[in-house]
Amino acid sequence: MTRAWLRPTVALFVSAVFFVPLYLVLTNVIKQGDLIAKEPASLPLPPTLANIHAVLTRPDGLFWVSLTNSIVVTVLSILVLTVLSAMLGHYLARSGKRWTKVLTLVLLAGLMIPPQVILIPITDVLRVTHLMATLQGLILFNVGYYVPFGVFVFTGFIRGVPVELEEAALLDGASRMQVFWRVVFPLLRPATASVLIFLGVWIWNDFIDPLIILGPSQGTTITTGIYRSIGQYQADLGSVFALMFLATLPVLIFYLALQKQFVKGLTGGATKG
Amino acid sequence: MGEGGLTHLAAVASPPAPPKTRRIPASGRRRKPILPRVWHFASFGAPGVLVYLCFVMAPILISFGYSLTNYNPFNPPVKFVGFDNYRLLFTDEQFLTALKVTTVLTLIVVIVPNVLGLGVALLLDRKGRLYNALRSVFFTPVILSSVVVSIVWSRLLDDRGPLDSLLRALGIEHPPGWLSDPDIALYSVASIVSWQMLGFCVVVYLAGLQGVPSELLEAAEIDGAGPLRRFRAVTWPLLAPSLTINTVVLLISAFKTYDYVKVITNGGPGSGATATIAFNVLQTGFDSNHVGYASAMAVLMLVVVAVVTTVVLNFLRRREVDL
Repeated sequence: MTRAWLRPTVALFVSAVFFVPLYLVLTNVIKQGDLIAKEPASLPLPPTLANIHAVLTRPDGLFWVSLTNSIVVTVLSILVLTVLSAMLGHYLARSGKRWTKVLTLVLLAGLMIPPQVILIPITDVLRVTHLMATLQGLILFNVGYYVPFGVFVFTGFIRGVPVELEEAALLDGASRMQVFWRVVFPLLRPATASVLIFLGVWIWNDFIDPLIILGPSQGTTITTGIYRSIGQYQADLGSVFALMFLATLPVLIFYLALQKQFVKGLTGGATKG
Repeated sequence: MGEGGLTHLAAVASPPAPPKTRRIPASGRRRKPILPRVWHFASFGAPGVLVYLCFVMAPILISFGYSLTNYNPFNPPVKFVGFDNYRLLFTDEQFLTALKVTTVLTLIVVIVPNVLGLGVALLLDRKGRLYNALRSVFFTPVILSSVVVSIVWSRLLDDRGPLDSLLRALGIEHPPGWLSDPDIALYSVASIVSWQMLGFCVVVYLAGLQGVPSELLEAAEIDGAGPLRRFRAVTWPLLAPSLTINTVVLLISAFKTYDYVKVITNGGPGSGATATIAFNVLQTGFDSNHVGYASAMAVLMLVVVAVVTTVVLNFLRRREVDL
């Protein structure tokens, strides 16, 4: 190849253009507040940690409260989702009756239901059960809404686990639950990883559901916290950028740590939709 | 290797399961169930199904029920109005605008990331550290919250933002009002959504490209096919499953577009230049409290999503089989 430099050059250029908005976040996080509005694209010189410090020490504790809420909602949602969808996936993969096909279709439909269709009635359902504006309500909604995704990832994998393995364990006197959790579930690690990663990122980043279910004043998650702080602190852009950065940091670390798994899960999991 | 490539392709198109998979449903039917079925369902199936029914299926039915009434929590009594809400929708200027906005947005968001994603994937389809790093650059927006993406882009496209400063420096005195001009704002929002979704398409196409057997490409080269011909005759047909995934995922997420509209333009500028149906549903239901009418909109939206997705999915799947 005589033009060996061409591809890397074009690739670098295209990526650089694509990267501009991300550069804007990163520089403005460590840029002095008054410079952000004046010269948003300039290099952050001299760099400062004042924005991050301001967010972490806000008197109303917005960051810490939102962070706690987001962690509680995300962790509990994905734990319950993993357990419920792995077991439901097992039922669908192992029970060969005709009605499981119907059930599978009903669940499949759930993958394309826009949240707007159910959000209005869900607030009434939650109000009647006194779960409106509570973290439990949001968690239950998340579980119901994302269970189809979990089920489809798990069902595919469970079909790949030989039934003979389960029968052998049952003959050895294990209960059905023991067989599932000790023999089958450990074999589903790639599926579990995709489910945890995907649902974790989606639920962490979710905006509309916490906005509506937690209500206007009843506490914020990290995304609704950012949304509110742009309204309230229009002038303090440094804090908004720092808040956005801190909100993304956990997902970014999660992603970098599990990068391989993530992309595999993406191509594997996405196809089931 | 060719075999390996095709297996990988199959893995992308269907659940990643070892070849044994096929046998199990058959043997499962022949075999006596390991345990009573009722017990199996009650313990394994029921909890998941129950939450799904309570929090997804029941609300859909309730939504349909609401859509046949004039329900407004602040304006009782509730009256049954039949299909009046649905009839009203088709003469409602605001809804028809939202329908148009959603259609335009969906078309752009399905086409642009697909086309650019394929281009970038072809560009980055090489081994090496540089290409790995650049893949991460494209994938990062996918894991960002749409709220974060919306705020960053609002700043970037602001009337006094960096983009306009740059354009002014280049001698363009009056750059277009990216977010304030009703004729342009929708395209700006669609571009922002496309920017975030691009990385997803890149990754899916890259996975598809790994499944294209190099012998096939070499054979085509020996037969005298140029790069374009090789792409059209070998690579593109083998990317069919990737196209299916990308199109369906983009289609579904474009229909639901709410976050960007809410944060970037709040439906504006002007009278709903960027207000999607998804945005209007919540606006009408929660801000104006016309729950009955908003529910009709939501139900109609669900039907449209279901029909369009099914039609597109069938069309693309048939294309895969035709290979």
